[in-house]
Amino acid sequence: MPGLRFHHLTFLKYGLILFVLCQTDNTTGISAVACAADTVRDREQQRIDTIARIAPTVVCVMPPGGQGGGSGVLISADGYAISNYHVTSGSGNFMKCGLNDGQVYDAVIVGIDPTGDVALIKLLGRDDFPFCTPGDSETVRTGDEVLALGNPFLLASDFTPTVTYGIVSGVRRYQYPAGTFLEYTDCIQIDASINPGNSGGPLFDINGRWIGINGRASFEKRGRINTGAAYAISVRQVLLFVDHLKSGRIVDHGRTNFTVGTYDGAVEVQQVSNLSEAWRRGMRPGDELLSFGGRALTSANDFKNIMGIFPEQTRVPLEFRNADGVQKITVRMSSLHDFEAAPQLPEERRPQRQPKDADPDHDTPDDDDPHGQGADEDEPQVPAQYAHLFEEKKGFANAYFNRLNTDRFMKPLEESLAAAAATAESKGATGDTGWTLRVSAAIDAAEYVGELTVGPKGAGLDLAGLAAQLQPADNIDPTNESPQLYGLLTGLLQWQRLFRNDRRLFSEVSYFGAEQLLPAEDDRTKVHVVIVQDGPTISRWYFDEQSPWPVGVDVVLSAGADEGRIRFADWNTSGELPLPDRIGVVDSNSETINWIKVDSIEVKRPNNNKSNNTARNNSRAIKVNS
Amino acid sequence: MKSMFWHICISLALHSSVGACPAAEIRNEFDPVIRSSQQVVVKLFGAGAGTLDSYGSGVLISESGHFVTVWNHLVNNSYLNAVVFDGRRFSVKVMGTSLQHDLALLKLECEDDETFPFVDWNQPASAAAGESVLAFSNVYHVATGNEPVSVIHGVIACETPLVAGFGRWEFPVKSPVYILDAVTNNSGAAGGLLTDLAGRPVGLLGRELRHRETDMWVNYAIPWRHLQPVIGELLNGRRVMPAIDTADDRQMISGRRLTADFGLTLLPSILTKTPAYVDRVIPGSPGGKAGFARGDLILMADDRVIQSVEDLRAALATYRKGQSVSFTVSRNQSLEGLSLKIP
Repeated sequence: MPGLRFHHLTFLKYGLILFVLCQTDNTTGISAVACAADTVRDREQQRIDTIARIAPTVVCVMPPGGQGGGSGVLISADGYAISNYHVTSGSGNFMKCGLNDGQVYDAVIVGIDPTGDVALIKLLGRDDFPFCTPGDSETVRTGDEVLALGNPFLLASDFTPTVTYGIVSGVRRYQYPAGTFLEYTDCIQIDASINPGNSGGPLFDINGRWIGINGRASFEKRGRINTGAAYAISVRQVLLFVDHLKSGRIVDHGRTNFTVGTYDGAVEVQQVSNLSEAWRRGMRPGDELLSFGGRALTSANDFKNIMGIFPEQTRVPLEFRNADGVQKITVRMSSLHDFEAAPQLPEERRPQRQPKDADPDHDTPDDDDPHGQGADEDEPQVPAQYAHLFEEKKGFANAYFNRLNTDRFMKPLEESLAAAAATAESKGATGDTGWTLRVSAAIDAAEYVGELTVGPKGAGLDLAGLAAQLQPADNIDPTNESPQLYGLLTGLLQWQRLFRNDRRLFSEVSYFGAEQLLPAEDDRTKVHVVIVQDGPTISRWYFDEQSPWPVGVDVVLSAGADEGRIRFADWNTSGELPLPDRIGVVDSNSETINWIKVDSIEVKRPNNNKSNNTARNNSRAIKVNS
Repeated sequence: MKSMFWHICISLALHSSVGACPAAEIRNEFDPVIRSSQQVVVKLFGAGAGTLDSYGSGVLISESGHFVTVWNHLVNNSYLNAVVFDGRRFSVKVMGTSLQHDLALLKLECEDDETFPFVDWNQPASAAAGESVLAFSNVYHVATGNEPVSVIHGVIACETPLVAGFGRWEFPVKSPVYILDAVTNNSGAAGGLLTDLAGRPVGLLGRELRHRETDMWVNYAIPWRHLQPVIGELLNGRRVMPAIDTADDRQMISGRRLTADFGLTLLPSILTKTPAYVDRVIPGSPGGKAGFARGDLILMADDRVIQSVEDLRAALATYRKGQSVSFTVSRNQSLEGLSLKIP
């Protein structure tokens, strides 16, 4: 095993130095050798223990019928597992998965990322699957020892994964796409043996943390076997995509609306679309791009690398320098492809699926080999009890999982809204066609007090000391928004629409994935995104897992204009209408949030000219409208 | 042996936590060595053709920018650039070469006051079979600009004379070389650095060659201690073998062999770029069986563009007996495809 050989000299060194130390202690060289041997054995035992711990998480992914196959890794107890898109793409919507317990499990496709060569599948039949622990691929360094586990050449008939040992040969590597997909950016280069069948399998650091997905190697004149240069997709990238993949979509990668080049060791902006957010934040050709997505940049290649790990529509922080100094902004990335259907892989990237009499060197079992047990050809390709777990739809790998996850966030909201409406009815309220909010806001150290009104036909803002604004619901115009509280009125209009609690009002209500909500109050503000399309208006509703109520919404006002970015905090459900005590409006120029305090709310009744006021916090003054 | 002792002490001091508590998390012990070794390897970009890569590696051996690499087609072409660890790019000048070491000494064409990290060429490690080694190179051109070169770990399997070649090209080094157990010699790796785990130079990574008897790809490095004397001579201005700055030293099959074995006679190569016109075809010869005819202009051999008689003779030299070559020829203003088995 190369690992043993590799360390042999290191251990020899320790052995010699221990020999020296032991001599000063008047012990003999023999015991010194014993010291060294213990170190070697300890290290070996540690490695054995680590492999024993991680091997149960490794999946042998096979198409029904058991011809060919690849690898994968379980990431949660309910059976979600990551593999390569180029492994699952030829396997159909249902596949067979072997674990090192010797059992074969049915699995269903969940989501795919053809650009990044990642697929999410779900193993079925258990809710206590073993799963791996992710590490931090950002801290992986060249020279780190690594273990690649997987299923090269389909060697193990009992699905015990093959383990290969190596070191990290390089980090932040880039491997060109085939056309525009199967692009490996910011990947980890390793010298552990990677062969056909390893694809989709996990790369672990020597301490057993999952740091990547082995997906490709530099194959050239020596054929499709290990060449000492293989590449793993970083776990950072995979984790950025996991929730997107759970949306069941054909997930796309992001792109920026500006380009860069390297000049004299600096990354310089070459072109900026004048319809882009970056342009509106002041970025111009010739400015120096300093960082992107939290990564300091030294070359255009650095930029290309880091840009490639983000899903479409992600809001990413960046820093650039212009004549006025360093500017810290965020931009939402565009989509690279807008897939409608899964792309066809080029011939050479498809998993090899040979007839049974094919070259045994390839990843195809021999005739008399008991691979694919429980997967014989008489068995139906789609197990009847799981057939309902797959739904076909344009733009989706499996629309079933989109419905599942959309309901995961929409159902609690809808139930809470229904409960709130029932309570309101019991108090004599009958409708919700118009709200008036008494609010106070501190903007740039000045206090403003006034009213926010929102109804089916429009929303208005009237704060003493600021110009009054009115946004009609049927003709959204960004110039109708107050510059100090940009997007608030359009956001409120969407909010009221959503609170009518009827999904049929919208052309689309669809789970999208998860991202970090910016501006972030801490590094852990991961939120789930539900996209709501209402006529021409697209809103991204943000939910966390603690509460049924949304934590915010970003609304596209019109193409070429900034989106409104509204945040909700301290939901108050004790009143007639569930409302947050604080509404935040993100100022995209400064990436800060202006918070509005909601002091009271008044709900107007459609068939009742008399207003019904509800006091909040008991101590707030109530203005009664005539 | 004394220096070995101090090296051991130092490495223990650096990595004592690992030895002290073996059950603790395993850490990267090679990071400092790898970082410094990566900085002395340059990425070479030049001209390639067919299976000959347009990129390679080299090892800096002086502060003022001297570096060594394998004496291959990259060195023989007038166009060659080197990119150092921090992304600076230089054109290079050939200072001297040695056929029997398969070695070329070059220098970055830099300003007089520019300096570079370098490996102490005069202090080679004496490594033997069983030694753990690290191989640093621009393999597969994975790294560009200021990106660090790749590192692969391995063990010296043995030290032995190597009978190997590529196509009809014969490996000229007769002294023993290190055979490695790792796949180190891939595209672009030639001229890379092999070190021990302390970062001392052990060898210069070789070409992509096949063993003459087994036809297996060989992963080898030329021991640095064999290179040490010749590097000294080359640095002192002695060009052990003069470098030829045209492509004329390409391995070619002779015109006589082309006639005798292939049954093809081309137009005499008088100009530097005499087009590869077929002058005569011996009936029944391999050339005749392939369908060549007098007046054919040979344009391509497999994926190689043939611009001259020399190009064709060089292209044919890269094939082994029994291999098939597809030719594209121009005949009567149309293109014909012909297939020939190398005799």
